[in-house]
Amino acid sequence: MYGWIWRHLPGNVLVRALISLLLALGAVYLLFEYVFPWAEPLLPFNDVTVDEGQETGQ
Amino acid sequence: MPSSTEAETPAEESAGKTRTAPSRRRPSPWRRRMATAVSVFGELLITGGVVLGLFVAYSLWWTNVVANQEAKRDSSAVREHWEAAPDDDGDDTTPPPAYDPQDGIGFLHVPAMTGDDILVKPGTGLDVLNGGVAGYYEDPVASAMPWDEEGNFSLAAHRDGHGAKFHDIDKIDVGDPIVFETENTWYVYRTSAILPETSKYNTEVLAPIPEESGATEAGRYITLTTCTPLYTSRHRYVVWGELVRTEDVDEMRTPPEELRETE
Repeated sequence: MYGWIWRHLPGNVLVRALISLLLALGAVYLLFEYVFPWAEPLLPFNDVTVDEGQETGQ
Repeated sequence: MPSSTEAETPAEESAGKTRTAPSRRRPSPWRRRMATAVSVFGELLITGGVVLGLFVAYSLWWTNVVANQEAKRDSSAVREHWEAAPDDDGDDTTPPPAYDPQDGIGFLHVPAMTGDDILVKPGTGLDVLNGGVAGYYEDPVASAMPWDEEGNFSLAAHRDGHGAKFHDIDKIDVGDPIVFETENTWYVYRTSAILPETSKYNTEVLAPIPEESGATEAGRYITLTTCTPLYTSRHRYVVWGELVRTEDVDEMRTPPEELRETE
């Protein structure tokens, strides 16, 4: 998978390494900005209020 | 090449051993496909592990960075607003014009728990609490306001991540001061009772007279709730306080003596 990406990147090793780094940073950005904020409320780590048993809202 | 690859494999292996040719022989298509599948599977597992690690970093570090930034901005907005529009009659129940309670109604100081002042906003939804603030309950039991004649001022905030404002709630002991600062008044409470673990459905703790704290008659109470144990949401941790006195805010915003020891 990663080997396939590596082989399909243009340029020499240095250019490929730079592009790889950018791709990795982009993936982390997408995770932190969109995926994790979406996933977090679905996971039971951050409920801090007492409520009457509704699943949502808190 | 013959298509019966499986029969050929052992022959190839033994041939490879006996021969000393340095040139690598091409593996059969079946073996190549298996190798690709195994390596893709392995890379997916590694990726999954890295993503989970990143999620931990996100939850415990990045959300704090974002929330503290947001809280800092909102806090200074509230303080600036207080400075810009002095509320002359000194009564918190009549807010000055152009005042939006969504900005925050005041600051919570709990020296035993944190040296920070915690902005308090209406509501306990994640949209509010994720901003690195404490929120007062609107449901299931609507909170009273500190300036009300009687009732329970009930708050919630995150234990971990998103500012983790109540992270050290377990450092609060009975007798410790809890001070709420509004534009014109310091409301000084003393911790009266602690419930280290209760059900998340125990809405009784928010009652105007929280009986589990030992309170029996109407008064002016404060309730802090968050989740426990650390890093989970299995139970709730509750701290109650009772109003001791109020103090007018002077021009220097001199904090009441309960806060001065630590500042």
